[in-house]
Amino acid sequence: MSLLVASVGFGLITASVLAIAAVGFTLQFAVTDVLNLAFAAVMTAGAYTAYAVNAAGMPIWLGTLAAMAACAVLSVLLNYLVYAPFQRRGAAPITLVIVSLGMALIVEFSVAAVTGGVGVSYRMSQGSTIRLGGLVLTTAQLAIIGISLVVMVAVHALLRYTRLGKAMRATAANRMLARNCGIRASRVIGLTWALTGALCGLAGTVFAIDVGTFTATSTDIFLILILAAVFLGGPGHAYGAMLGALVIGLATEVSAVYIPADYKYVVAFVILLGMLAVRPAGLLGART
Amino acid sequence: MSGDGRTGLQADGVTAGYGGDPVIRGVSVRAEPGKVASVVGPNGSGKSTLLKALTGVLRVSGGRVSVDGREVTNSPPEDMARAGVGYVPQVDDVFAPLTVRENLEMGGYLLGRGQVGPAMEHVLAVFPRLSGMLRRPAGKLSGGERKMLAMGRVLMLRPSVFLLDEPTANLAPAIARELLEEQVRQLARHGSAVLIVEQRARAVLAVSDHTYVMGGGELRMAGTPAELQADPAFVASFLGGHVQRS
Repeated sequence: MSLLVASVGFGLITASVLAIAAVGFTLQFAVTDVLNLAFAAVMTAGAYTAYAVNAAGMPIWLGTLAAMAACAVLSVLLNYLVYAPFQRRGAAPITLVIVSLGMALIVEFSVAAVTGGVGVSYRMSQGSTIRLGGLVLTTAQLAIIGISLVVMVAVHALLRYTRLGKAMRATAANRMLARNCGIRASRVIGLTWALTGALCGLAGTVFAIDVGTFTATSTDIFLILILAAVFLGGPGHAYGAMLGALVIGLATEVSAVYIPADYKYVVAFVILLGMLAVRPAGLLGART
Repeated sequence: MSGDGRTGLQADGVTAGYGGDPVIRGVSVRAEPGKVASVVGPNGSGKSTLLKALTGVLRVSGGRVSVDGREVTNSPPEDMARAGVGYVPQVDDVFAPLTVRENLEMGGYLLGRGQVGPAMEHVLAVFPRLSGMLRRPAGKLSGGERKMLAMGRVLMLRPSVFLLDEPTANLAPAIARELLEEQVRQLARHGSAVLIVEQRARAVLAVSDHTYVMGGGELRMAGTPAELQADPAFVASFLGGHVQRS
């Protein structure tokens, strides 16, 4: 029983990290029409940016802000230099997926070339241990859950109550109609790359805090989990991604109690395949 | 010209298409403030292509488009909205996942913070049925309600020119008639120049001040509804009958 409760705790932490990444990924896809498979590689670049700041003697929260800024810039550049030119030439969506796969490898191996293949960790305390019911969590793990909740509320507020958020949803729903309303869609798309890039940097840093030691290839499997969460919730749907992250995060960690841990990621895809068979549009249907 | 300096829309010799051979060639139309101009013609005659060219959705390869005396040829759609052109496409005319209120807010995207509320009140006065459905997602509206929202969304900016692409497509005949006779006429009464593309020639003639007839990507005829209804060729082709002689 205590193992099950502990796994729920791990599941909540995985879900928290996954939710930040999945919401960023799905918003990026909804507004920009790019299924950016380089997202996890950019996360790694963010994790290393935070590491560089942290290794220079700065606190990890400052490293996190640096990671968010770096990934925002990197994402905007990826769009400006690579994806947007392909889109202007009328590239098919599948072509852009392949291009993004290529960019994933380029970003990942560039990070590996600069940092070397050695695993690194942040210089930070995990904090004291806190017991909540049967759950045993460190202060750092609780902070990850708290950050994720704040991000989810902030994304909700952005999409529902701000002019930019509504313009993002309008652009995602019908780009040409948004332009007919006077919305400069290219500006909204640029801001979306910056905003989701910042989420990507945040996800990369909290991912690195969660796993403890990371390398340039640490997020490879995590990309699969992001895709599972996004497609489980319904691609392009922010609230679906939150729900998908919770299901996938909990399912992978709790399943490890009952089956060999090596198979826990398989569980994520069994759930996804089941969902796609029953409800192809995902839990929450069409785009936000 | 109207009292406020608006002159409406003028298109001279517009040629446009989708990249290959032009779909429309040398088409000239005019929409004046406070009046309804219509474009009729069979399927594939280039009516929708004309509207897309006028709104910046398609590139104009020849000719000139001006709004209120200012040349806007090949301006992108977001600048056409700023120039005073409101466009209701035939399909995908609302933001389906957004609520009715959010759709209207997006229609008023170019307004200042304090102007959105009064503009929405004005739209709801013109389309009172929308008042009771502000929180409903636009994708859940009926065809008639949806078209009303699409027109209301455009009305938020009180555009100089309203371009409507087959607004009665997929609507029941009674709702289509109401839309044309009440709402479309009302847009003109509020001072906008209305240019409407329609398949239902007889119904649209009843609300038009001037009508253009397209065929094969070119302008074939033009005149007031009375003039066209007196033309045997027009009546035989579009109204399915003979000219009534008194």
